[in-house]
Amino acid sequence: MSPYMLIILIFTLGLGTLITLSSSHWLIAWMGLELNTFAILPLMAQQHSPRAMEATIKYFIIQTTAATMLLFASVSNAWLSGQWEIQQMSHPTPLALITIALALKLGLAPMHAWFPEVLQGLNFSTGLILSTWQKLAPFSLLLQIPPTSSFLLITLGFISVLMGGWGGLNQTQLRKILGYSSIAHLGWMILIMQYAPPLTLLALTVYIVLTSSMFLTFLYNQATNINSLAISWTKTPMLTALTPLVLLSLGGLPPLTGFLPKWAILQELTKQGLTPVAALTALSALLSLYFYLRLSYATALTTPPNNLPATLPWRIIFKQPTTFLAVLITMSLSLLPLSPSVMAFFTF
Amino acid sequence: MKYLLFLLLFLLILGVVGVASNPSPGFAALSLVMVAGSGCSLLAGQGGYFLALILFLIYLGGMLVVFAYSVAFTGSDYVEGWGTRRISLAAAGYLLLVWGGGVILSTNLNEEFWTVGASFGEFMFLEYSLVGVAHLYMGGGWLLVAGAWALLLVLLAVLELVRGASRGAVRVV
Repeated sequence: MSPYMLIILIFTLGLGTLITLSSSHWLIAWMGLELNTFAILPLMAQQHSPRAMEATIKYFIIQTTAATMLLFASVSNAWLSGQWEIQQMSHPTPLALITIALALKLGLAPMHAWFPEVLQGLNFSTGLILSTWQKLAPFSLLLQIPPTSSFLLITLGFISVLMGGWGGLNQTQLRKILGYSSIAHLGWMILIMQYAPPLTLLALTVYIVLTSSMFLTFLYNQATNINSLAISWTKTPMLTALTPLVLLSLGGLPPLTGFLPKWAILQELTKQGLTPVAALTALSALLSLYFYLRLSYATALTTPPNNLPATLPWRIIFKQPTTFLAVLITMSLSLLPLSPSVMAFFTF
Repeated sequence: MKYLLFLLLFLLILGVVGVASNPSPGFAALSLVMVAGSGCSLLAGQGGYFLALILFLIYLGGMLVVFAYSVAFTGSDYVEGWGTRRISLAAAGYLLLVWGGGVILSTNLNEEFWTVGASFGEFMFLEYSLVGVAHLYMGGGWLLVAGAWALLLVLLAVLELVRGASRGAVRVV
Protein backbone atom coordinates (compact mmCIF):
# COMPACT_ATOMS: atom_id res chain seq x y z
CA MET A 1 0.00 0.00 0.00
CA SER A 2 1.17 3.49 -0.76
CA PRO A 3 2.85 5.07 2.30
CA TYR A 4 0.62 8.16 2.01
CA MET A 5 -2.46 5.96 2.23
CA LEU A 6 -0.99 4.05 5.17
CA ILE A 7 -0.29 7.27 7.06
CA ILE A 8 -3.78 8.61 6.40
CA LEU A 9 -5.42 5.37 7.57
CA ILE A 10 -3.34 5.01 10.73
CA PHE A 11 -3.84 8.68 11.58
CA THR A 12 -7.60 8.30 11.13
CA LEU A 13 -7.62 5.21 13.35
CA GLY A 14 -6.09 7.27 16.12
CA LEU A 15 -8.34 10.26 15.39
CA GLY A 16 -11.53 8.22 15.45
CA THR A 17 -10.80 6.64 18.81
CA LEU A 18 -9.75 9.99 20.23
CA ILE A 19 -12.96 11.64 19.01
CA THR A 20 -15.11 8.96 20.64
CA LEU A 21 -13.10 8.98 23.86
CA SER A 22 -13.44 12.74 24.28
CA SER A 23 -17.05 13.20 23.19
CA SER A 24 -20.10 14.03 25.26
CA HIS A 25 -22.58 14.15 22.36
CA TRP A 26 -23.89 10.95 20.81
CA LEU A 27 -23.46 12.13 17.21
CA ILE A 28 -19.79 12.88 17.79
CA ALA A 29 -19.27 9.48 19.44
CA TRP A 30 -20.95 7.84 16.45
CA MET A 31 -18.74 9.82 14.08
CA GLY A 32 -15.60 8.55 15.85
CA LEU A 33 -16.82 4.95 15.63
CA GLU A 34 -17.54 5.31 11.91
CA LEU A 35 -14.10 6.82 11.32
CA ASN A 36 -12.55 3.77 12.98
CA THR A 37 -14.63 1.38 10.91
CA PHE A 38 -13.77 2.97 7.58
CA ALA A 39 -10.11 3.52 8.35
CA ILE A 40 -9.42 -0.12 9.09
CA LEU A 41 -11.19 -1.53 6.01
CA PRO A 42 -8.35 -0.95 3.50
CA LEU A 43 -5.86 -2.21 6.10
CA MET A 44 -7.82 -5.43 6.35
CA ALA A 45 -8.04 -5.82 2.59
CA GLN A 46 -4.31 -5.30 2.10
CA GLN A 47 -3.68 -8.93 1.29
CA HIS A 48 -6.20 -8.97 -1.56
CA SER A 49 -6.94 -12.68 -1.11
CA PRO A 50 -10.61 -13.78 -1.27
CA ARG A 51 -10.46 -14.71 2.41
CA ALA A 52 -9.20 -11.26 3.36
CA MET A 53 -11.87 -9.57 1.24
CA GLU A 54 -14.55 -11.76 2.79
CA ALA A 55 -13.30 -10.87 6.27
CA THR A 56 -13.35 -7.17 5.33
CA ILE A 57 -16.90 -7.31 4.03
CA LYS A 58 -18.13 -9.25 7.06
CA TYR A 59 -16.48 -6.75 9.41
CA PHE A 60 -17.98 -3.83 7.52
CA ILE A 61 -21.52 -5.22 7.60
CA ILE A 62 -21.37 -6.08 11.30
CA GLN A 63 -19.88 -2.73 12.33
CA THR A 64 -22.31 -0.65 10.29
CA THR A 65 -25.25 -2.62 11.67
CA ALA A 66 -24.02 -1.90 15.17
CA ALA A 67 -23.41 1.78 14.35
CA THR A 68 -26.90 2.10 12.86
CA MET A 69 -28.45 0.58 15.97
CA LEU A 70 -26.40 3.02 18.05
CA LEU A 71 -27.59 5.96 15.98
CA PHE A 72 -31.20 4.82 16.18
CA ALA A 73 -30.99 4.44 19.94
CA SER A 74 -29.36 7.85 20.44
CA VAL A 75 -31.92 9.56 18.20
CA SER A 76 -34.72 7.81 20.12
CA ASN A 77 -33.16 9.00 23.35
CA ALA A 78 -32.94 12.55 21.96
CA TRP A 79 -36.60 12.41 21.00
CA LEU A 80 -37.69 11.06 24.39
CA SER A 81 -35.50 13.14 26.67
CA GLY A 82 -34.71 16.18 24.51
CA GLN A 83 -30.93 16.12 24.82
CA TRP A 84 -27.93 14.32 23.39
CA GLU A 85 -25.64 13.91 26.39
CA ILE A 86 -24.02 10.50 26.69
CA GLN A 87 -24.02 10.47 30.49
CA GLN A 88 -27.57 11.73 30.82
CA MET A 89 -29.49 8.96 29.10
CA SER A 90 -32.63 8.41 31.09
CA HIS A 91 -34.87 6.06 29.17
CA PRO A 92 -34.34 2.28 29.58
CA THR A 93 -35.15 1.20 26.02
CA PRO A 94 -32.51 3.27 24.23
CA LEU A 95 -30.05 2.31 26.98
CA ALA A 96 -30.61 -1.39 26.41
CA LEU A 97 -30.39 -0.93 22.64
CA ILE A 98 -27.11 0.97 22.96
CA THR A 99 -25.67 -1.76 25.20
CA ILE A 100 -26.60 -4.41 22.62
CA ALA A 101 -25.22 -2.30 19.75
CA LEU A 102 -21.90 -1.80 21.56
CA ALA A 103 -21.80 -5.51 22.43
CA LEU A 104 -22.20 -6.30 18.73
CA LYS A 105 -19.37 -3.89 17.95
CA LEU A 106 -17.08 -5.55 20.49
CA GLY A 107 -17.92 -9.13 19.64
CA LEU A 108 -19.60 -10.21 22.86
CA ALA A 109 -21.68 -13.35 22.89
CA PRO A 110 -24.31 -13.98 21.70
CA MET A 111 -23.20 -11.58 18.92
CA HIS A 112 -19.72 -13.09 18.64
CA ALA A 113 -19.85 -15.41 15.63
CA TRP A 114 -18.22 -12.93 13.26
CA PHE A 115 -15.11 -12.30 15.32
CA PRO A 116 -13.02 -15.48 14.91
CA GLU A 117 -13.81 -15.70 11.20
CA VAL A 118 -12.85 -12.08 10.59
CA LEU A 119 -9.61 -12.52 12.54
CA GLN A 120 -8.78 -15.63 10.52
CA GLY A 121 -8.79 -13.63 7.30
CA LEU A 122 -6.28 -11.03 8.49
CA ASN A 123 -2.55 -11.01 8.97
CA PHE A 124 -1.28 -10.80 12.53
CA SER A 125 -0.58 -7.07 12.69
CA THR A 126 -4.04 -6.07 11.44
CA GLY A 127 -5.59 -8.67 13.72
CA LEU A 128 -3.69 -7.09 16.62
CA ILE A 129 -5.18 -3.67 15.83
CA LEU A 130 -8.63 -5.24 15.57
CA SER A 131 -8.30 -7.01 18.92
CA THR A 132 -6.82 -4.17 20.93
CA TRP A 133 -7.25 -0.67 19.52
CA GLN A 134 -10.76 -1.18 18.15
CA LYS A 135 -12.01 -2.21 21.57
CA LEU A 136 -11.11 1.08 23.25
CA ALA A 137 -13.80 3.31 21.72
CA PRO A 138 -16.83 1.06 22.39
CA PHE A 139 -15.60 0.42 25.94
CA SER A 140 -15.31 4.14 26.62
CA LEU A 141 -18.95 4.53 25.63
CA LEU A 142 -20.07 1.51 27.67
CA LEU A 143 -18.30 2.89 30.74
CA GLN A 144 -19.95 6.28 30.39
CA ILE A 145 -23.62 5.37 29.96
CA PRO A 146 -25.80 5.25 33.08
CA PRO A 147 -26.46 1.85 34.65
CA THR A 148 -28.75 -0.30 32.56
CA SER A 149 -30.50 -3.60 33.19
CA SER A 150 -28.12 -5.65 35.32
CA PHE A 151 -29.57 -8.88 33.95
CA LEU A 152 -28.49 -7.86 30.43
CA LEU A 153 -24.90 -7.12 31.43
CA ILE A 154 -24.48 -10.25 33.53
CA THR A 155 -25.97 -12.40 30.76
CA LEU A 156 -23.72 -10.84 28.12
CA GLY A 157 -20.67 -11.32 30.34
CA PHE A 158 -21.29 -14.87 31.46
CA ILE A 159 -22.35 -16.15 28.04
CA SER A 160 -19.24 -14.54 26.51
CA VAL A 161 -16.92 -16.28 28.97
CA LEU A 162 -18.71 -19.58 28.33
CA MET A 163 -18.81 -19.29 24.52
CA GLY A 164 -15.28 -17.94 24.36
CA GLY A 165 -13.99 -20.98 26.19
CA TRP A 166 -16.25 -23.53 24.58
CA GLY A 167 -15.83 -22.33 21.00
CA GLY A 168 -12.06 -22.25 21.21
CA LEU A 169 -11.78 -25.88 22.23
CA ASN A 170 -11.98 -27.32 18.72
CA GLN A 171 -9.65 -24.85 16.98
CA THR A 172 -6.24 -25.49 15.49
CA GLN A 173 -5.86 -22.12 13.78
CA LEU A 174 -4.11 -19.69 16.09
CA ARG A 175 -5.98 -16.59 14.97
CA LYS A 176 -9.31 -18.22 15.71
CA ILE A 177 -8.01 -19.29 19.13
CA LEU A 178 -6.99 -15.70 19.84
CA GLY A 179 -10.43 -14.58 18.67
CA TYR A 180 -12.23 -16.86 21.11
CA SER A 181 -9.83 -15.83 23.88
CA SER A 182 -10.74 -12.21 23.13
CA ILE A 183 -14.46 -13.03 23.45
CA ALA A 184 -13.88 -14.69 26.82
CA HIS A 185 -11.84 -11.79 28.20
CA LEU A 186 -14.38 -9.25 27.03
CA GLY A 187 -16.98 -11.27 28.92
CA TRP A 188 -15.02 -10.84 32.15
CA MET A 189 -14.80 -7.10 31.53
CA ILE A 190 -18.52 -6.67 30.93
CA LEU A 191 -19.41 -8.78 33.98
CA ILE A 192 -17.92 -6.34 36.45
CA MET A 193 -18.76 -3.13 34.57
CA GLN A 194 -21.82 -2.15 36.56
CA TYR A 195 -20.23 -2.83 39.97
CA ALA A 196 -16.66 -1.55 39.64
CA PRO A 197 -15.77 0.24 36.37
CA PRO A 198 -12.08 0.61 37.32
CA LEU A 199 -11.82 -3.19 37.30
CA THR A 200 -13.15 -3.19 33.73
CA LEU A 201 -10.35 -0.82 32.76
CA LEU A 202 -7.84 -3.00 34.63
CA ALA A 203 -9.05 -6.13 32.84
CA LEU A 204 -8.97 -4.33 29.50
CA THR A 205 -5.42 -3.07 29.96
CA VAL A 206 -4.07 -6.41 31.18
CA TYR A 207 -5.85 -8.13 28.29
CA ILE A 208 -4.33 -5.71 25.76
CA VAL A 209 -0.83 -6.38 27.13
CA LEU A 210 -1.32 -10.16 27.12
CA THR A 211 -2.90 -10.44 23.72
CA SER A 212 -0.36 -8.12 22.13
CA SER A 213 2.37 -10.43 23.45
CA MET A 214 0.66 -13.42 21.86
CA PHE A 215 0.01 -11.73 18.53
CA LEU A 216 3.59 -10.46 18.30
CA THR A 217 4.96 -13.88 19.29
CA PHE A 218 2.97 -15.58 16.56
CA LEU A 219 4.00 -12.83 14.13
CA TYR A 220 7.64 -13.36 14.98
CA ASN A 221 7.36 -17.10 14.52
CA GLN A 222 5.11 -16.72 11.43
CA ALA A 223 3.01 -19.50 12.95
CA THR A 224 -0.63 -19.65 11.89
CA ASN A 225 -1.65 -23.03 13.26
CA ILE A 226 -0.67 -25.35 16.07
CA ASN A 227 1.58 -27.46 13.85
CA SER A 228 3.62 -24.43 12.75
CA LEU A 229 3.80 -23.28 16.33
CA ALA A 230 5.12 -26.68 17.37
CA ILE A 231 8.12 -26.59 15.05
CA SER A 232 8.95 -22.94 15.74
CA TRP A 233 10.97 -23.72 18.86
CA THR A 234 14.12 -23.69 16.79
CA LYS A 235 13.81 -20.01 15.93
CA THR A 236 14.21 -18.47 19.37
CA PRO A 237 14.55 -20.76 22.36
CA MET A 238 14.06 -17.83 24.76
CA LEU A 239 10.72 -16.89 23.22
CA THR A 240 9.72 -20.53 23.17
CA ALA A 241 10.47 -20.81 26.87
CA LEU A 242 8.43 -17.70 27.71
CA THR A 243 5.42 -18.36 25.47
CA PRO A 244 3.83 -21.00 27.74
CA LEU A 245 4.08 -18.58 30.65
CA VAL A 246 2.30 -15.86 28.67
CA LEU A 247 -0.37 -18.39 27.70
CA LEU A 248 -0.87 -19.40 31.32
CA SER A 249 -1.07 -15.71 32.19
CA LEU A 250 -3.87 -15.41 29.61
CA GLY A 251 -5.52 -18.34 31.33
CA GLY A 252 -5.45 -16.47 34.61
CA LEU A 253 -3.08 -18.50 36.71
CA PRO A 254 -1.17 -17.04 39.64
CA PRO A 255 1.60 -15.86 40.09
CA LEU A 256 1.33 -14.28 36.64
CA THR A 257 -0.27 -10.95 35.72
CA GLY A 258 -3.38 -12.46 34.16
CA PHE A 259 -4.48 -13.57 37.62
CA LEU A 260 -4.91 -10.00 38.84
CA PRO A 261 -8.07 -8.97 36.94
CA LYS A 262 -9.77 -12.31 37.51
CA TRP A 263 -8.96 -12.19 41.20
CA ALA A 264 -10.23 -8.65 41.61
CA ILE A 265 -13.38 -9.37 39.58
CA LEU A 266 -14.23 -12.53 41.54
CA GLN A 267 -13.68 -10.68 44.81
CA GLU A 268 -15.92 -7.80 43.76
CA LEU A 269 -18.65 -10.13 42.49
CA THR A 270 -18.60 -12.00 45.79
CA LYS A 271 -18.79 -8.75 47.73
CA GLN A 272 -21.85 -7.77 45.69
CA GLY A 273 -23.55 -11.02 46.60
CA LEU A 274 -23.23 -12.70 43.20
CA THR A 275 -21.29 -15.75 44.36
CA PRO A 276 -23.03 -18.27 42.04
CA VAL A 277 -22.23 -16.06 39.04
CA ALA A 278 -18.63 -15.78 40.18
CA ALA A 279 -18.33 -19.54 40.66
CA LEU A 280 -19.87 -20.37 37.29
CA THR A 281 -17.69 -17.82 35.49
CA ALA A 282 -14.55 -19.16 37.13
CA LEU A 283 -15.54 -22.67 36.07
CA SER A 284 -16.15 -21.47 32.50
CA ALA A 285 -12.68 -19.97 32.46
CA LEU A 286 -11.38 -23.52 32.81
CA LEU A 287 -12.46 -24.16 29.24
CA SER A 288 -10.21 -21.35 27.98
CA LEU A 289 -7.39 -22.61 30.20
CA TYR A 290 -7.60 -25.97 28.45
CA PHE A 291 -6.78 -24.62 25.03
CA TYR A 292 -4.09 -22.33 26.40
CA LEU A 293 -2.55 -25.41 27.97
CA ARG A 294 -2.81 -27.23 24.66
CA LEU A 295 -0.93 -24.39 22.96
CA SER A 296 1.82 -24.37 25.59
CA TYR A 297 2.04 -28.16 25.29
CA ALA A 298 2.63 -27.80 21.54
CA THR A 299 5.02 -24.88 21.94
CA ALA A 300 7.49 -25.85 24.62
CA LEU A 301 6.48 -28.96 26.51
CA THR A 302 7.10 -31.12 23.45
CA THR A 303 9.85 -30.66 20.85
CA PRO A 304 8.71 -32.04 17.49
CA PRO A 305 11.45 -33.04 15.05
CA ASN A 306 12.27 -30.90 12.05
CA ASN A 307 14.40 -30.97 8.92
CA LEU A 308 18.13 -30.33 9.15
CA PRO A 309 17.99 -26.77 7.67
CA ALA A 310 15.33 -25.83 10.22
CA THR A 311 17.15 -26.93 13.32
CA LEU A 312 18.67 -24.55 15.80
CA PRO A 313 21.66 -22.71 14.30
CA TRP A 314 24.83 -22.09 16.24
CA ARG A 315 24.40 -18.34 16.20
CA ILE A 316 20.82 -17.10 16.52
CA ILE A 317 20.10 -14.32 14.04
CA PHE A 318 17.35 -11.89 15.04
CA LYS A 319 15.31 -11.03 11.96
CA GLN A 320 13.06 -8.44 13.53
CA PRO A 321 13.39 -6.01 16.42
CA THR A 322 11.91 -7.61 19.52
CA THR A 323 12.25 -4.82 22.07
CA PHE A 324 8.55 -4.11 22.27
CA LEU A 325 7.73 -7.79 22.52
CA ALA A 326 10.26 -8.15 25.34
CA VAL A 327 8.66 -5.31 27.28
CA LEU A 328 5.19 -6.75 26.78
CA ILE A 329 6.21 -10.24 27.88
CA THR A 330 7.92 -8.85 30.97
CA MET A 331 4.77 -6.96 31.84
CA SER A 332 2.56 -9.99 31.23
CA LEU A 333 4.56 -12.19 33.55
CA SER A 334 5.62 -10.09 36.46
CA LEU A 335 3.04 -7.43 37.34
CA LEU A 336 1.24 -9.42 40.04
CA PRO A 337 3.49 -8.38 42.96
CA LEU A 338 2.73 -4.78 41.98
CA SER A 339 -1.04 -5.31 42.30
CA PRO A 340 -1.73 -2.48 44.76
CA SER A 341 -0.09 0.18 42.62
CA VAL A 342 -1.55 -1.28 39.41
CA MET A 343 -5.04 -1.14 40.88
CA ALA A 344 -4.49 2.34 42.27
CA PHE A 345 -3.54 3.38 38.76
CA PHE A 346 -7.04 2.60 37.56
CA THR A 347 -9.09 3.86 40.46
CA PHE A 348 -10.00 7.40 39.56
CA MET B 1 -50.17 23.61 -11.01
CA LYS B 2 -52.06 20.56 -9.85
CA TYR B 3 -51.01 18.77 -13.00
CA LEU B 4 -47.35 19.60 -12.35
CA LEU B 5 -47.61 18.35 -8.75
CA PHE B 6 -49.25 15.16 -9.92
CA LEU B 7 -46.60 14.61 -12.57
CA LEU B 8 -43.74 15.11 -10.10
CA LEU B 9 -45.29 12.76 -7.53
CA PHE B 10 -45.91 10.15 -10.22
CA LEU B 11 -42.29 10.34 -11.38
CA LEU B 12 -41.13 10.12 -7.76
CA ILE B 13 -43.02 6.90 -7.07
CA LEU B 14 -42.02 5.42 -10.41
CA GLY B 15 -38.38 6.24 -9.72
CA VAL B 16 -38.49 4.76 -6.21
CA VAL B 17 -39.98 1.55 -7.60
CA GLY B 18 -37.24 1.55 -10.19
CA VAL B 19 -34.51 1.89 -7.56
CA ALA B 20 -35.95 -0.97 -5.51
CA SER B 21 -36.35 -3.36 -8.45
CA ASN B 22 -33.17 -2.59 -10.34
CA PRO B 23 -31.40 -5.29 -12.38
CA SER B 24 -27.99 -3.76 -11.71
CA PRO B 25 -26.59 -0.82 -9.69
CA GLY B 26 -26.18 1.40 -12.75
CA PHE B 27 -29.90 1.21 -13.46
CA ALA B 28 -30.60 2.02 -9.83
CA ALA B 29 -28.38 5.09 -10.08
CA LEU B 30 -30.31 6.33 -13.11
CA SER B 31 -33.59 5.79 -11.31
CA LEU B 32 -32.22 7.62 -8.31
CA VAL B 33 -31.51 10.63 -10.53
CA MET B 34 -35.17 10.66 -11.55
CA VAL B 35 -36.23 10.36 -7.91
CA ALA B 36 -33.95 13.20 -6.87
CA GLY B 37 -35.08 15.39 -9.73
CA SER B 38 -38.78 15.08 -9.03
CA GLY B 39 -38.33 15.14 -5.26
CA CYS B 40 -36.21 18.24 -5.35
CA SER B 41 -38.70 20.02 -7.62
CA LEU B 42 -41.47 19.20 -5.15
CA LEU B 43 -39.31 20.46 -2.29
CA ALA B 44 -38.44 23.67 -4.12
CA GLY B 45 -42.10 24.25 -4.83
CA GLN B 46 -42.77 24.17 -1.09
CA GLY B 47 -40.05 26.69 -0.29
CA GLY B 48 -37.10 24.38 0.38
CA TYR B 49 -34.88 25.69 -2.41
CA PHE B 50 -31.58 25.37 -0.50
CA LEU B 51 -32.04 21.72 0.36
CA ALA B 52 -32.97 20.93 -3.25
CA LEU B 53 -29.89 22.68 -4.60
CA ILE B 54 -27.59 21.02 -2.05
CA LEU B 55 -29.11 17.62 -2.81
CA PHE B 56 -28.43 17.99 -6.51
CA LEU B 57 -24.90 19.25 -6.02
CA ILE B 58 -23.63 16.97 -3.26
CA TYR B 59 -25.81 13.91 -3.39
CA LEU B 60 -26.19 13.49 -7.14
CA GLY B 61 -23.09 15.32 -8.32
CA GLY B 62 -20.72 14.01 -5.66
CA MET B 63 -21.85 10.87 -3.91
CA LEU B 64 -23.78 9.24 -6.74
CA VAL B 65 -20.96 9.89 -9.19
CA VAL B 66 -18.41 8.20 -6.93
CA PHE B 67 -20.84 5.35 -6.35
CA ALA B 68 -21.36 4.83 -10.07
CA TYR B 69 -17.59 4.93 -10.64
CA SER B 70 -16.85 2.32 -8.01
CA VAL B 71 -19.73 0.15 -9.12
CA ALA B 72 -18.65 0.31 -12.75
CA PHE B 73 -15.61 -1.80 -11.87
CA THR B 74 -17.83 -4.65 -10.80
CA GLY B 75 -19.88 -4.81 -13.98
CA SER B 76 -20.82 -8.14 -15.47
CA ASP B 77 -20.96 -9.25 -19.08
CA TYR B 78 -24.63 -10.16 -19.41
CA VAL B 79 -26.87 -7.58 -17.75
CA GLU B 80 -30.62 -7.88 -17.96
CA GLY B 81 -32.72 -4.78 -18.50
CA TRP B 82 -36.06 -3.61 -17.22
CA GLY B 83 -38.08 -5.78 -19.60
CA THR B 84 -37.38 -9.27 -18.30
CA ARG B 85 -40.13 -11.09 -16.44
CA ARG B 86 -38.24 -11.20 -13.14
CA ILE B 87 -37.64 -7.45 -13.01
CA SER B 88 -41.11 -6.44 -14.16
CA LEU B 89 -42.69 -8.76 -11.59
CA ALA B 90 -40.53 -7.22 -8.86
CA ALA B 91 -41.43 -3.72 -10.01
CA ALA B 92 -45.12 -4.57 -10.06
CA GLY B 93 -44.79 -5.98 -6.54
CA TYR B 94 -43.16 -2.82 -5.22
CA LEU B 95 -45.77 -0.68 -6.94
CA LEU B 96 -48.50 -2.69 -5.27
CA LEU B 97 -46.71 -2.26 -1.93
CA VAL B 98 -46.55 1.51 -2.35
CA TRP B 99 -50.19 1.73 -3.42
CA GLY B 100 -51.29 -0.47 -0.54
CA GLY B 101 -49.27 1.53 1.93
CA GLY B 102 -50.75 4.73 0.61
CA VAL B 103 -54.28 3.37 0.95
CA ILE B 104 -53.65 2.24 4.52
CA LEU B 105 -51.86 5.38 5.68
CA SER B 106 -53.96 8.03 3.95
CA THR B 107 -55.93 10.07 6.48
CA ASN B 108 -56.80 13.74 6.18
CA LEU B 109 -54.94 14.79 3.07
CA ASN B 110 -55.60 18.52 3.52
CA GLU B 111 -53.70 19.14 6.73
CA GLU B 112 -50.11 20.36 6.82
CA PHE B 113 -47.69 18.24 8.77
CA TRP B 114 -44.27 19.53 7.87
CA THR B 115 -42.51 22.87 7.60
CA VAL B 116 -39.31 23.69 5.80
CA GLY B 117 -38.44 26.93 7.52
CA ALA B 118 -39.43 29.76 9.83
CA SER B 119 -38.61 33.36 10.59
CA PHE B 120 -35.29 33.84 12.34
CA GLY B 121 -34.56 37.17 13.94
CA GLU B 122 -35.10 39.97 11.42
CA PHE B 123 -35.32 37.63 8.41
CA MET B 124 -38.82 36.79 7.22
CA PHE B 125 -38.39 33.25 5.97
CA LEU B 126 -35.29 31.05 6.08
CA GLU B 127 -35.04 27.33 5.61
CA TYR B 128 -34.08 25.20 8.60
CA SER B 129 -31.36 23.51 6.57
CA LEU B 130 -29.91 26.84 5.49
CA VAL B 131 -29.72 28.06 9.08
CA GLY B 132 -28.24 24.73 10.19
CA VAL B 133 -25.47 24.82 7.62
CA ALA B 134 -24.73 28.43 8.50
CA HIS B 135 -24.37 27.43 12.15
CA LEU B 136 -22.07 24.57 11.22
CA TYR B 137 -19.72 26.94 9.44
CA MET B 138 -20.09 29.70 12.02
CA GLY B 139 -19.76 27.96 15.39
CA GLY B 140 -18.82 24.47 14.21
CA GLY B 141 -15.11 25.03 14.48
CA TRP B 142 -12.94 21.94 14.41
CA LEU B 143 -15.99 19.73 14.08
CA LEU B 144 -16.37 20.99 10.53
CA VAL B 145 -12.78 20.00 9.80
CA ALA B 146 -13.33 16.57 11.38
CA GLY B 147 -16.48 16.07 9.34
CA ALA B 148 -14.67 17.01 6.13
CA TRP B 149 -11.83 14.66 7.07
CA ALA B 150 -14.31 11.84 7.62
CA LEU B 151 -15.81 12.34 4.17
CA LEU B 152 -12.37 12.46 2.56
CA LEU B 153 -11.36 9.32 4.41
CA VAL B 154 -14.38 7.36 3.21
CA LEU B 155 -13.60 8.36 -0.37
CA LEU B 156 -9.98 7.26 -0.02
CA ALA B 157 -10.97 3.99 1.68
CA VAL B 158 -13.42 3.17 -1.11
CA LEU B 159 -10.89 3.96 -3.81
CA GLU B 160 -8.29 1.85 -2.03
CA LEU B 161 -10.71 -1.06 -1.72
CA VAL B 162 -11.67 -1.11 -5.40
CA ARG B 163 -8.06 -0.65 -6.50
CA GLY B 164 -7.53 -4.41 -6.57
CA ALA B 165 -6.78 -4.63 -10.33
CA SER B 166 -7.47 -8.38 -10.63
CA ARG B 167 -5.70 -9.15 -7.36
CA GLY B 168 -8.87 -8.93 -5.30
CA ALA B 169 -12.31 -10.42 -5.29
CA VAL B 170 -14.24 -7.14 -5.57
CA ARG B 171 -13.06 -5.87 -8.93
CA VAL B 172 -13.81 -7.61 -12.20
CA VAL B 173 -11.33 -5.99 -14.61
